[in-house]
Amino acid sequence: MVFVAIILGCVVGAIIGINAPTISYTYSSYLAIAIIAALDSVFGGIASVINKKFDIKIFISGFFGNAVLAILLTILGEKLNVDIYLAAIVVFVWRMFMNLGTIRRYYVEKWTDKVKNIHDAKKNSEQKAVQDNTEDK
Amino acid sequence: MANKKIISCVLGIMCLALTFCICVQMKTVKQYSTKIGQNYDQKNLRAEVLRYKERYEHLLKEIDNLDKTLEGKIEEATDQNTDLEDARNQIKEGNKLIGLTEVTGPGAIIRVADSNIESSKVLDPSLLVVHDLDIFAIINELKNAGAEAISVNEQRIVSTSAIECGGNIITVNGEKIGSPFVIKAIGLPENFANLRRTGGYLEKMEEAGIQVKFEKSNKLTIPKYTGILNYKYAQSVK
Repeated sequence: MVFVAIILGCVVGAIIGINAPTISYTYSSYLAIAIIAALDSVFGGIASVINKKFDIKIFISGFFGNAVLAILLTILGEKLNVDIYLAAIVVFVWRMFMNLGTIRRYYVEKWTDKVKNIHDAKKNSEQKAVQDNTEDK
Repeated sequence: MANKKIISCVLGIMCLALTFCICVQMKTVKQYSTKIGQNYDQKNLRAEVLRYKERYEHLLKEIDNLDKTLEGKIEEATDQNTDLEDARNQIKEGNKLIGLTEVTGPGAIIRVADSNIESSKVLDPSLLVVHDLDIFAIINELKNAGAEAISVNEQRIVSTSAIECGGNIITVNGEKIGSPFVIKAIGLPENFANLRRTGGYLEKMEEAGIQVKFEKSNKLTIPKYTGILNYKYAQSVK
C-alpha cells in the first residue's frame, strides 16, 4: 500500500512536472539543494516505516524544515562566499545512504528468511516422503 | 490500518512534490545548459550573465508597466479638457513618428542570411556573409521606397540608430544581432517589391551567394524603440 502510493505520487508528479513551466536560473540552485533535502526526508520516511517508527509530525516537519534550512544555508554561503551547500549535500547524501542501507538490509533479510523457509519446507516434505515410503514397506 | 492509510497518503504526496520539483529542475537546467564542456570559472560566468539578463528583462518589464501607468495618468488628466486632448494627440503622433510606439500595417519582410557555400570554395569568403553595409544599403533602399517604420531583428530603426560591424555579428542600436537578418518595413508593399528589380542591391547579394528572401505582408507589427532618445546639444531655434 505504501509503495503503491509512492509510485503513484512519483508518476503524477512527473507528469505535472513535465508540463510545468521552468523557473528562473537564479533560483534553480536553491531548488536543487531543496530537492536533495527532500529526497533525504523521503528515504528517511520509508526507512522509518520499515522500522515501524514512523511519525507524521516528525516526517512533515523534517521534509519542509530540512529543505528550508538547506536553502537558507545556501543563501548564507553565497553572501559569505563559502560553499556551505557542499556540506549540506554531503550530510544529506550520507544520510540517504544510511537510510537506503536500512531499507536494503530489511528486504535482504526478509528474502533470505523466505528462501530458508521454502528450503526447510522442501526438506521436511522430502523427509516425510521418505518416512512414508519406509512405513509403506 | 487507518494509520497506514495516512502514512501512504503523506508519503505519496511528498513523492509527488519531490518528482515535480525534480522535473522542473531538470527542465530548467536543460534549457540553460550547453553541450560544450565547461570548467568552474566558465560556469560561474555563465550564471552571472544569465542573472544579469534576467535582471535586464525584469527591468524592461518594469519600464513597460511604468509607461502604461504614465499613459493612463495622461489620459486621466486630459479627459475633460479639449485643449489638453489636442496636446495628447500631438504627443501620440510625435511618438509614432520618432519610433517610440509599436506600429502595425502592410509592408514587406526581407530575410537575408549568410551563404551556405563553403568558404574554402570561393576566392573571397567575405562575399558570403552579410555585412553591416549590406543591411545599411537595404534600409536605405526601403526608406527610398517610402518605408514609414523599419526594424532589423526586432530592433527599431530610429533617427539615432547606428548599424556597425562587430566581428561576425552586427550591432544595431547597441544590441548584437546575427544572421539570419529579418528586416521588416511598413509602407506600400508594391513599392517595396521594386527592391527585387534586376540589377538591384538584393539581386547583387543573391548573385554573391547570400540567401535572400522577399515577402510582401498585409499586416506586420514593428516593435517600438526601447532605448532613450535624449538630445543634449541640439536646441530648438526660437
